[in-house]
Amino acid sequence: MEWRLRNDEGRLVAAPTGRVDEESWKEFSANLNAAVRDAVAASVPLVIDLSGLEYMTSKGLRALTLAKNEARGAVQIRLAAPNATMRRILSISRYDMLFPVVDSVDSGD
Amino acid sequence: MLVRFWGTRGSLPVAQRADAALTKVVRALLIARGRHFADEAEAAEFARSDLEFATYGTFGGATPCVELDAGDESAFVVCDMGSGLREFGVSAVRRCAEGRPRVYHFFLSHLHWDHIMGFPYFRPAQDSGATIVIHSGHPDAEEALRRQQEAISFPVPFEALKAKIEFAVHEPGEPFEAAGLQVSLIRQTHARGSFGYRFEGGGKTVVYSTDAEHKPADMDAEADFEAFFGGADLVISDTMYSLGEAVSLKQDLGHSSNVVAVDLCHAAGARRLALFHHEPGYSDDDIQRMFYETLRYEELVRAGRPQLEVVCAYDGLEVEL
Repeated sequence: MEWRLRNDEGRLVAAPTGRVDEESWKEFSANLNAAVRDAVAASVPLVIDLSGLEYMTSKGLRALTLAKNEARGAVQIRLAAPNATMRRILSISRYDMLFPVVDSVDSGD
Repeated sequence: MLVRFWGTRGSLPVAQRADAALTKVVRALLIARGRHFADEAEAAEFARSDLEFATYGTFGGATPCVELDAGDESAFVVCDMGSGLREFGVSAVRRCAEGRPRVYHFFLSHLHWDHIMGFPYFRPAQDSGATIVIHSGHPDAEEALRRQQEAISFPVPFEALKAKIEFAVHEPGEPFEAAGLQVSLIRQTHARGSFGYRFEGGGKTVVYSTDAEHKPADMDAEADFEAFFGGADLVISDTMYSLGEAVSLKQDLGHSSNVVAVDLCHAAGARRLALFHHEPGYSDDDIQRMFYETLRYEELVRAGRPQLEVVCAYDGLEVEL
């Protein structure tokens, strides 16, 4: 898994690529929590660009929950541009009811 | 080894209401429209082949009770004493009449009501020739079973039971032998704690892991579960909620999800997963949907591993290992 982070017009965009599974979830979670802290400090929403992500297992999903807990409601975390596999995983896990899921990084809520 | 599911529902026994049965019949009639069946056997064959399980059958509503049957010469091995235990008891009496030893080894995940409520209705407990050994990780298992048969709760006191009843308390990390099986325990996250069991015998391994929460903050600890599930022929796992529910509305209730169960089994190299401890508020359609979603999830995250076979436990299911 690779991780990129950029400031983009009043929001922070995190872009993981590859897979988030039992091998990579710790790195994903650490990067994600750091990004949450950056977003909170800057008072901007955090958008997670999922377009480069092949899929995410339950450990990656639960890392999203840890990030949401880290944010404590101070900033919104949006999931953007999931591929068909990720969209199905978000639906099966009902994480699409816990996080806003949008079609592209540029979409609003 | 044959694994029989006598009770698969979590928390509370449930039963189908009349309108649910009517919906099934109506759905079946519409699908069968225009067909002719020579007899009941032909109609049953059609039902099994052309209808979904939630239409022609039901996942049942008895609370947890699972039998591991190693053969007619072996002692009975039973995980938990939920309301499914009553029907197991009826079956056991019949099998003992055909010569099976009247020896029962129970393994309790924990002492919550849904996991012990069947014992007052367990007919072999009234058999003076029966020996019942109750294995538990909780030292107060005897107190829990005696208390539910006190006069305020039940008309027959524990002291009136005629079988020879013994209690054995075990510690995680200290494997033991019972009924010809090697048995080990793992401590699980649940209110007051629960225990999973790993049974090995005859070249087969079964893991019974119910009422176990796998919290986001404890993901490092899951390596222990992956080892405990390692190479199992069958893992019977708590899949009561979706993961989204388990980490939000249902957090701290002590239960797991279908997707975490799949991931643990994948990491453990287990061969088969039985979805278990179904939410009592779920209809048959709800459980079937969860089953199909689990099959799809397993496929999406398989990543070159051998396929994990997923079955959805129902009252009456038998799995041959």
